[in-house]
Amino acid sequence: MDKMINFTIDGISVEAKKGESILTVARKNDIYIPTMCYISKTTPCASCRMCVVEAKDVEGFVLSCNTPPTEGIEITTNSAELENERTNIMKLYDVNHPLECGVCDKSGECDLQNKTLEFGVSQQNFSAREQHRKIENWGLINYDPTLCIMCEKCVHVCNEVIGDDAIDVKFGGYSSTIIPKNNDTLDCTYCGECIAVCPVGALVSSNFQYSANAWELTRVPATCAHCSGGCSLEYETRHLGINGGDSILRVKNNFEYTSLCGAGRFGFDFSNNVLNKDEAAFRKAVEAVKNAKAIRFSSMITNEEAHILELLKDKLDIKLFNEDARKFKEFMSAYSSVSAKKHHSGSLDAVKQCDAAVVIGSRIATDNPALRYALTTASKHNGAKILYAHPVEDALMQNTVTQFIKYEVGTEEGVIALFANAILKDLDLSEDERAFFDELDLGYLEAETNVGDDELALMIKSFNRAAKRVLIVGNDLISHERSSNIAKLAAMIEKYTDFSIIIVPNEVNTLGVSLICNLDKDEEISNVVGYNAKGDFVISSLAGADLAVPALNQQEGTFVSIDNKVLPTNVALSFKGYTLNDIAAAHGIVKETTVDYTKELNTEAGFKNIDFDSLENFLSAHGDDVRGYLLDEVECESNGKLESVSELPEFNGTVIYHSNPVLQFNAYTNITKQLEKDTSLRGSAQFAAAAKISDGDEVEISFGKRSINRKFKLDSELKGTIALNPTFDDVSDASRYKFEKSKIVRVIHE
Amino acid sequence: MSKVYFSTWNGELINNVGKPEEEWEESAYNLPAQYDDHRDSKAFIGWDGVSLFNADVDVIRLAMEYAAQYQEYSEACGRCAPGRWGGRILYDQLDKIARGEGNVQDLDHLKEIGKSMQVTSKCEIGKTVPNPILDLMTHFEDEFMACINEQKPSKHYNDSIGYIAKITAPCTDACPAHVDIPGYIEGVRDLRFDDSLEATRQTMPLAHVCGRVCPHPCEDACRRTNLDEPISIMALKRLGADWETDHGFDFFHPMEKKPDTGKKVAIVGAGPAGLTTAYYLAADGVAVDVYEELPVLGGEVTVGVPEYRMPWDKYLQDIECVRDMGVNFIMNHKVSADDMRRFEKEYDATMIASGTRISKKVYCDNEDPSITGYWGAIDFLDRVNLYEKFDIKLTEAQKKEYAIDADYVDLTGKTVACVGGGFTSMDVVRCSIRAGAKKVVMIYRRDEKTIIRNTTYEEYHEAVEEGVEFYFHSAVAEMKDEEGVLKSLIIDKFELVPDPDGGRPQLVKIEGESYEMEVDYLIPAVSQSADLKFLPEEWEIEKTSWATIKTNGKDYMTSRNGIFASGDCEYGPMTIVNAVGQAKRGASVMSRYVQTGEITLTDDEIMEDHLRKLRVYDKKEKVTGWLPGLPRQHSMVLEADERKYNNKEVNLGFTQEEALSEAERCMRCYYIAMIAT
Repeated sequence: MDKMINFTIDGISVEAKKGESILTVARKNDIYIPTMCYISKTTPCASCRMCVVEAKDVEGFVLSCNTPPTEGIEITTNSAELENERTNIMKLYDVNHPLECGVCDKSGECDLQNKTLEFGVSQQNFSAREQHRKIENWGLINYDPTLCIMCEKCVHVCNEVIGDDAIDVKFGGYSSTIIPKNNDTLDCTYCGECIAVCPVGALVSSNFQYSANAWELTRVPATCAHCSGGCSLEYETRHLGINGGDSILRVKNNFEYTSLCGAGRFGFDFSNNVLNKDEAAFRKAVEAVKNAKAIRFSSMITNEEAHILELLKDKLDIKLFNEDARKFKEFMSAYSSVSAKKHHSGSLDAVKQCDAAVVIGSRIATDNPALRYALTTASKHNGAKILYAHPVEDALMQNTVTQFIKYEVGTEEGVIALFANAILKDLDLSEDERAFFDELDLGYLEAETNVGDDELALMIKSFNRAAKRVLIVGNDLISHERSSNIAKLAAMIEKYTDFSIIIVPNEVNTLGVSLICNLDKDEEISNVVGYNAKGDFVISSLAGADLAVPALNQQEGTFVSIDNKVLPTNVALSFKGYTLNDIAAAHGIVKETTVDYTKELNTEAGFKNIDFDSLENFLSAHGDDVRGYLLDEVECESNGKLESVSELPEFNGTVIYHSNPVLQFNAYTNITKQLEKDTSLRGSAQFAAAAKISDGDEVEISFGKRSINRKFKLDSELKGTIALNPTFDDVSDASRYKFEKSKIVRVIHE
Repeated sequence: MSKVYFSTWNGELINNVGKPEEEWEESAYNLPAQYDDHRDSKAFIGWDGVSLFNADVDVIRLAMEYAAQYQEYSEACGRCAPGRWGGRILYDQLDKIARGEGNVQDLDHLKEIGKSMQVTSKCEIGKTVPNPILDLMTHFEDEFMACINEQKPSKHYNDSIGYIAKITAPCTDACPAHVDIPGYIEGVRDLRFDDSLEATRQTMPLAHVCGRVCPHPCEDACRRTNLDEPISIMALKRLGADWETDHGFDFFHPMEKKPDTGKKVAIVGAGPAGLTTAYYLAADGVAVDVYEELPVLGGEVTVGVPEYRMPWDKYLQDIECVRDMGVNFIMNHKVSADDMRRFEKEYDATMIASGTRISKKVYCDNEDPSITGYWGAIDFLDRVNLYEKFDIKLTEAQKKEYAIDADYVDLTGKTVACVGGGFTSMDVVRCSIRAGAKKVVMIYRRDEKTIIRNTTYEEYHEAVEEGVEFYFHSAVAEMKDEEGVLKSLIIDKFELVPDPDGGRPQLVKIEGESYEMEVDYLIPAVSQSADLKFLPEEWEIEKTSWATIKTNGKDYMTSRNGIFASGDCEYGPMTIVNAVGQAKRGASVMSRYVQTGEITLTDDEIMEDHLRKLRVYDKKEKVTGWLPGLPRQHSMVLEADERKYNNKEVNLGFTQEEALSEAERCMRCYYIAMIAT
C-alpha cells in the first residue's frame, strides 16, 4: 500500500493517493477550482491554465491539474491574484469568439458561456485580427474552428480512451485547429465521443445541429440496447408539434467518466411506432402462443420479458429456444464446474486497470466497443501488454495490441490449452489436472494451431511484470463445438492465477436470459412463435411482425451487462400497442406492469429482490457508477473434469467470418437513420484470388444450408484467405460458430 | 565579452545610449554580434533579454517581429490559452504601434497581457516571450511614445531586415544531437507515443539506443535541477521506440522522403555516425551505400555494448528504421585506399565514420601484445558480443590465441584484470563476470567519484553489485609472463598529493606499496584510437594531434573536398550521441554539397552554434511557478543474482505510471531566440 500524502487545500486537511493531482484531490473534497480543458478520464490536457493555484513558499502559480501534491504543502485555490489571472484567461478565450449563442447547439450547456458569466467578462478589451476559417463536414460530425477553444479534450479522448487516434492538433499559435490525423478527412469509427466532450459548439452532431435548444429536451436515463457493454446513456426527447408524439433527438453520455460508441450515440431511432392497439392481431398472438410447441426468442429483450417467457413455458408447457443464450449458459456452467463460481470474475473496470490482457476468440472492437475502450485505456494509461489471439487481424486494434497471435480457424481448444499450459506451468495443480497438461501433445497442438513456442514464451515474458491480468473470452469460444472443455480450461487459469476472466456475452442481454430461462435446444420444428425472432407467428418490435411489441427504448426493465450488473433502462418513447405482459395476462400470468417482475427475478442466479423503482440510475458527481446492482456471487459445485483435447479441425478454402462492420450490431441498428449500412462481404486480396472474384463483384455466398448474395469489397487491411460477412441485416442465427466454410460464386447478370 | 549598444541579457543592464562608440561598456556574455562570416547582427533578442549591437535598431519592429516569430512560426506554440491568444495580441498591438496607428492604451494592454503570459503560460516560451518586449518598452519608451504621439511608422518599418529565429531549450542545447527533448517528453505525457518518437527522430534516428545507453549530458542542463532533481530524460526516450516496436507499427519517420536527387554518397562504417548520416541523407533523396567491415551492422553499439545493456533486437529496430528510409548496406567489406579512390570517382561525396577500433596500450613494462592473456578490450568485446548476439563462435586460431577451450569466451576459473575507467572498461568487467570469471578486477588510477563522473552512477554500482572489485589509485607497472603466457601483474599504488601552490593535486606513487597479483588476463580498456590506414596517403588528409581526422567541427568536411568525417574517427572515442550529433550536421551539409558543391550551414544550424556558445542553461536561474520536491523516478533494475550470469536486460525501463509521473515533472523549457541582420 502506497503512503498517502497529507496536505491542505484552503486550510482543509486532505490526503492524496500516489498519482493523484492537486485538482483531483480538491474535487474529491468538493473544493472548486475552475477548469476549461480538464476531463477526468484522460491525462490532463493542461491547455487552459485556469486551474492555477498558489502553494505556500512557492513563487508563482502552480498548475493543479498535473501537479501531484508534496507532503505538508499548503495550497490556496483562491486569491485576488488568481481571480485576476483566471479572468484574464477568460478574456482571452472570448477574444473574437463568434457571438452566435442564439443559434449555437451548445448554448445553455456551454462551458465557455458559463465561465464567461462566472468571471463577469462583459466586453472584449483586446483586439486580434479575425480569421476566416471553413466549417468542416466530417460525416456525422461537423467542426467549426472559429468556435473551437483548443482545449484538446477531443484529441485526448480519441487517442487515450477510444483508441482511434484519428484527430490531431495542428499547431500554429492563434491559427491552431483540430484536424483529421494523417488524413484529409476524418477516418474513424464515429463514436462521436469528440462531440460529447467538446465544451463549446465546435464539434457537433451534423444530424442534431440546429434542431433544438438544449433546454427544450427531456432527458431519459437508460442503458444502451446494442451490446452487452451496459453503457449508460440519456435519450434526449422532445414533443413534436401539437398532434405529434415524442421523438428522440439525440443521445448523450456522462462523458466525464464514461464513453459511448457511435451505435449508442447515433443509433437511437429504432423504436417501433404503432398508432393504436391492434386487437385482432393480439387475439391471434394469444392463440398462437397457446398452441405453440415453442417460443423462439432473441437476447435483445429485458430480464423481465425473459422472466415472463419462462413463466409461459411453465404454464403452457412449451419449449424456449434461444441458441445464443443457451450456448452461453452451457459455457458458463462448464466454467463454473471448475471455478466454483456462477459468474465470471472480471469487469470493464478490471480491464481498464489491468496491465496485461489476453483477448481470445473475438473481433472485440466491433463485438463490444466498451471492452475495446477499456483495453485502450489500459494500454495507454497503464502501458498494458495486450495479447490478441484470433485468426483474423484487426487493424482497429493495432494501437492497443502488443502481441498478435494468429491461430488457425477452428483450433480454439488447442490454443486455450497451450495458453493454459504456458501460464500454469510452474503452479501447484491437482494430480488430475497436472496429468492433463502432462499428456498434452504440445508438438501436435503447436503445429495444428500454428501458435509457436516463441510466441508463448513472448507472452509469458511480457506478462512477467504485470500485476493485474485479465483474460477476455469471445464468442468464437462460446459457440465452439468444444466449448465446454474450452470453458474449463479458461476457468483453470482463473482458479490458479490472479487473472480475472470476462466471458463476452453476444447480445445486449445474453447474460440475463441465460440466468433466467431454462432453454431447450432449438429444433427445426413447426408451430413455433417467434419473439423478436423467426417463427411461424412472429411477435416483434421489428417491422413486419404479426403482432408489434415495444422496442428496447420504449420499455422499462433491466439487462445484465458484461459486468454482471443488473442495469435499469427506461421509456424514452411511449408505445401504444400490446406487450408481452398483456399476452401473459391473457394466459393467467397477471401483473400490472412488466417491471413488477423485477423483484421476482431468480435469486438462485444472483438476482436480488429489489423493486424496479428502487433501482438507482446515475453516476455520482465523482464518477461512481451507482446504477442498478451487482449480481450476488453464487457458489457452485466444482466437479468439472478436463477432457483431453480432441482432434483439431481444419478449415480450408474460402472461409468467411460472420462479423459486423463498425457501428452495426443487429436488426435494430440496421434500421437507424445515421449509422452506415455497409452490407458487403469484405475480403482480403488472398480471398478474392481464391474465390476468383474482384472488388465490386456481386457474389453468391453459400454456407451450411444457406446462400445469400452480397457485393464483394476488397479490404487491404485484411490478411489471409478470409472475408467478413455482416450479420446485422440478416436474421440468420447469430449464435453459431462464426467461421464458416463457404462457396463463393460470382453472379453474372445477363 | 561582446561589444553592445544596449543589453539586458541575463540580468545585465548595459546602456550605452547617447555615449560615443569608443566609450561603450561591454557585455560579459558571448553575444552573437557577428551572425556569420558575411553578416553582422543588428540585434539579438531572446528569453532572457535583448541586446542591440548598434544605435540604429528599430526596437518597436524588433519587438513586433519577435512576437510574430512566437505567434506565427513557433511549432511549439498553440498549446495553451494565454500563449495562443496572448501571443497574437502582443503581435497585433505591437504591429499597430509600429504601423503608426497605436495609442497609449495599447501599451497598457501589452503590459497586462505580457504579465498574464508570464505567470500562466504552459511552457517557458509563453512565459519568456514578454520579457525582452517589456524590456524594450521600458528602456525605449520614448521611441514607442513617439510613434504613438505622432502616429508615424517606426523608423525601419518598411525596410527589408532579416529576422532569424530559433527555438531551443536548455536540454536540447546541451544534447550533442540537439534532440527536441521537451517535444518527446510532451508526447509521453500526452500518451501520444508516435509524436514522441517522431520528435526524437527529427535529429536522432537511434531512439532505442539513446533511450538506453546514452550518458545523457542533457540531464546536466535540465532546469528542473534548479528546483529539485533533473528529469530522467534518457529513460523517457525509450517509451516512443518501445511503443512502435511493441505494436508492430511501420516506422514513424518524422519527415517524408524527398524525391530522388540523382546524387549518391558512400559511407564508411555502419555505426551510429554512419547510420545517422545514411538516414538523413536518404531522407533528402540521396542514394546511400554504407560499407561495413563486420558481418553485422551497428558498429561498436553492436559489438561493443553488451546485450544486457543494449538488447540486439531493440537496436535492430533502429537499424531497420534507417534501412526503411531506403539505405543500402554492404557488409563484410573492409574499405581500402583503392576503395576510397573509387568512392571519390563514383560517388558525389563520402562520409568516413569508421570509429576508433584500436585498443590503446596501458604503457607498462613488458607490455607485449603477443603474450597470451593480453587481450585488447575492443577485440574482447567483439568476441563476446558476436557470440552472444549472433552465435558467431571462436575460430580454432582464436581459441589458441586466447587460451580458451570453449566455442565462446568462457572465463570459468580465470582472473581478469581490466585497466580503464570509462564505459568500455565497465562493459569488459561486467561481461567477464557473465563469462564466469572467478575474480574480476578493475584497475583505475583515480578515485570512485571520478569513475562515476566518467560513466554513470548506475553503471558503477551495478558492476560492484555483480562482484567486480575496483582498485582505485592503482596502475599496472609490469606484466610478468612465463614462456609467453601471462602469469601476474605488478601493481603500483598512488596517492593524491595536494599541490602546495594551490594547483591541481598530483597523483604520486607510494613507494614500497607495489605488489604482485596473479592474473590470467589483462584487458587494456584505457582508450581507443582510429585505424585510418585506408585513407589514401596522397590525399594527405589532415589529422588532429590525437591522430583523428580533422574538421572544423561545424560542417565536418575534411581537408579534402567532398570527403567528410564524423563520430569517433573525427572526435576521438566519445559518446553515441556525440557521433549522432556530428553525423546529423554532416549529413545536412553533405546534402547541400552534393547539389551545389558548396559548404554551407542553414540559418537554423548557425543559430544552433551561436546558442551553444552562449549556453542556454543557467544553473543559477531561479525557477518559479512549479512545485518543488517531486522526486525523480527510477526504473526497476534486475537484482544482481537475477542478472549476473545471463544477458537479460538489466534496466527494465519505466512502468507507464513511472513514465507519466516523470514526464509531468518536465517544465517544457522551450525558448525562442532571434537575431536581426
